[in-house]
Amino acid sequence: MKLHLGGSLAWYDAKKRSNLQIKLEKQISLNALLQKFSIPRAEVAIISINGDMFEGDDVLVSDGDTILLYPPIGGGSI
Amino acid sequence: MGYGSTGKLLYIDLTSGSIRQETLPDDLYRLYPGGKALAAYLLLKYITPGVQPLSPENVLVLANGLMTGAPLSTATRFTAAARSPLTGAYGESEAGGFWGPELKMAGFEAIVIFGQAQSPVYINIHDDQVEIRDAAHLWGRDPEYVQETVRQELGDKLVRVLQIGVAGENRVLYAAISHEMRHFNGRTGMGAVMGSKNLKAIAVRGTERYLNKACDPKTLAELGKTLAGQVKNHPQSWDMQVKGTPGLTSGLNAAGILPTRNFRLGSFDDVANIVWDTYEKDLLKGRSSCHACAIRCKREVSINARYEVGNTYGGPEYESVAGFSSNCAIGDLSAMAKANELCNRYGLDTISTSSTIAFAMECFERGFIGLKDTGGIDLKFGNADAMLQMIDLIAHRSGFGDLLADGTRRASQVIGQGSEFFAMNVKGEEMAMHDPRGKVGVGLGYAVSETGADHLVSYHDTMIVNAESVPFKGAMPLGITEAMPARELSSRKAAAYATLESWSSLGKVIGFCYFGPAPRSMIQADQVVTAVQAATGWDVSIQELLQIGERAINLARIFNIREGLTRKDDSLPERLFSPLENGALNGIGISKTEFEQTLTDLYLIKGWDPASAIPTREHLRQLEIEWAADLLPA
Repeated sequence: MKLHLGGSLAWYDAKKRSNLQIKLEKQISLNALLQKFSIPRAEVAIISINGDMFEGDDVLVSDGDTILLYPPIGGGSI
Repeated sequence: MGYGSTGKLLYIDLTSGSIRQETLPDDLYRLYPGGKALAAYLLLKYITPGVQPLSPENVLVLANGLMTGAPLSTATRFTAAARSPLTGAYGESEAGGFWGPELKMAGFEAIVIFGQAQSPVYINIHDDQVEIRDAAHLWGRDPEYVQETVRQELGDKLVRVLQIGVAGENRVLYAAISHEMRHFNGRTGMGAVMGSKNLKAIAVRGTERYLNKACDPKTLAELGKTLAGQVKNHPQSWDMQVKGTPGLTSGLNAAGILPTRNFRLGSFDDVANIVWDTYEKDLLKGRSSCHACAIRCKREVSINARYEVGNTYGGPEYESVAGFSSNCAIGDLSAMAKANELCNRYGLDTISTSSTIAFAMECFERGFIGLKDTGGIDLKFGNADAMLQMIDLIAHRSGFGDLLADGTRRASQVIGQGSEFFAMNVKGEEMAMHDPRGKVGVGLGYAVSETGADHLVSYHDTMIVNAESVPFKGAMPLGITEAMPARELSSRKAAAYATLESWSSLGKVIGFCYFGPAPRSMIQADQVVTAVQAATGWDVSIQELLQIGERAINLARIFNIREGLTRKDDSLPERLFSPLENGALNGIGISKTEFEQTLTDLYLIKGWDPASAIPTREHLRQLEIEWAADLLPA
């Protein structure tokens, strides 16, 4: 899985990474994935899964997915 | 004056050559304590309604914020204001960097410039010594030469040189003012006003220290250290330091609101070529800062690809990335960086320049204009060479560039054929690269802003969409209590907008950058209060600070009403009421009915008559500026 932590979300990752390559053995909920990287759900404003915007609370994601996450976009920068 | 400011203003009449100084009394300064508030007050006082913006009768004000130059991160901003040649309305643009703090160290809060010199001049300020010097040898020269020559003439390498480029000399209506080649008062054509006065530059050297004027320098210095230490511990300020504004591009694309092909689309096919990861890999060479700011959000760049770009003029911000890339459909980072370099060299606002070229590209593709209009330039979307040629022509007012140098509103009036629909401006000022179809409060801001389509007039809707988020919690002390969706138009959205608009305005009054205070970044509201209290000794509260911001907005509004603007000028480009044609928000536009209703709600909340959008006398009295009501038409 490709996981992109846009803008300030990379700050929450212990290594401050914006782009992560993850191996998932089985499906996992998005919120559980966020927990693994200590990213507060409240800070995630934009979720793009394989090019489509996701606007619900939670969803199952799989190993082949490309997931882009962004914080609130607030003018001038994220 | 007491603490925190000299209250000293410098008046220069370039026609007569007279120079005088005046000190504002304390009570007046507390009402208009710098920046936007002081500038609006002075413009109302000294500009006769109806003066032509590029005539000697226009007045140019350069006003420091109350805190500008303090040893606090982001307290760097100063305002340039005059009647705008681009809009005919209240014109204003803020810049950070070093010139404002230097003027503060020289002991001045503001410079008020009248008249027009007979031939090019520059002003030299060294503490309280002020002179007007010949600048004939600097006219037409590039910023680097001008800065170096002025420093040599004055024998001081530490002089800060504020200047215009050839675009200002040629009175391009959206010409900028710059200093240090990388800090810009970009918006509303203040560079053209300076050019019309034959004023090439203002050199400043000051030797005072801010803390020597502060009421409680110890608290101020401690706060400065605290803020500097906070940068890396706050996600938003960390983001600004590491990525800066160009970090925005991919998120907006994913959200479906990256301006593309003159705002017809919200998603760009070649976005991978312009996102932060590519910028960092191919363009970034370093990071730099404004005066005393630990965030360091400025980018230093160079590239040697299809176009070669050096680092003389600093790195492109997000606005330039989107403006010269996706909005002109050019997926080439070196072309965008070249366009940014040219604009900075010539002294052009990158937002208005890129938006005007995108407008012309759409007119070209729709057949409203042809090769014979453009002088043979194939001005279709995606043509980087054509875009760069147009920047040259605009700056020099040559050929087709002469029309585009007047901005999208006037150009569309000349081109006709329904091209007004594609002219993305409000009050004549081109829209920033934020599409309100994804965050409609930004659209409220574009519409009601006295200066036109400015994205920094308030904080964006996305700051308050989640009650558990860092930015929302930062907004709570301001009185924001309810989270709401970014695309919601409602009376509660109008109320939240009004509060955040006053807070943003306050930043422009006291000189804090938009990237400093919460909800946008790390400086919490109570720390802003502490800073003002420590500087001045005034017992201010958040409420008084919000009121100072609101007062400044009302003064600018009065200026516009005096110039004949009405509620109908508080509108959006028609295209925004039409749906986006791709991306995550494909098919979504703004509801005009809901927008107009929310605008009415907003006027009522702001204490303005909803039919005329004029502040009521009662409201002006509450803001302690009832005198301004007497300036209104009967």
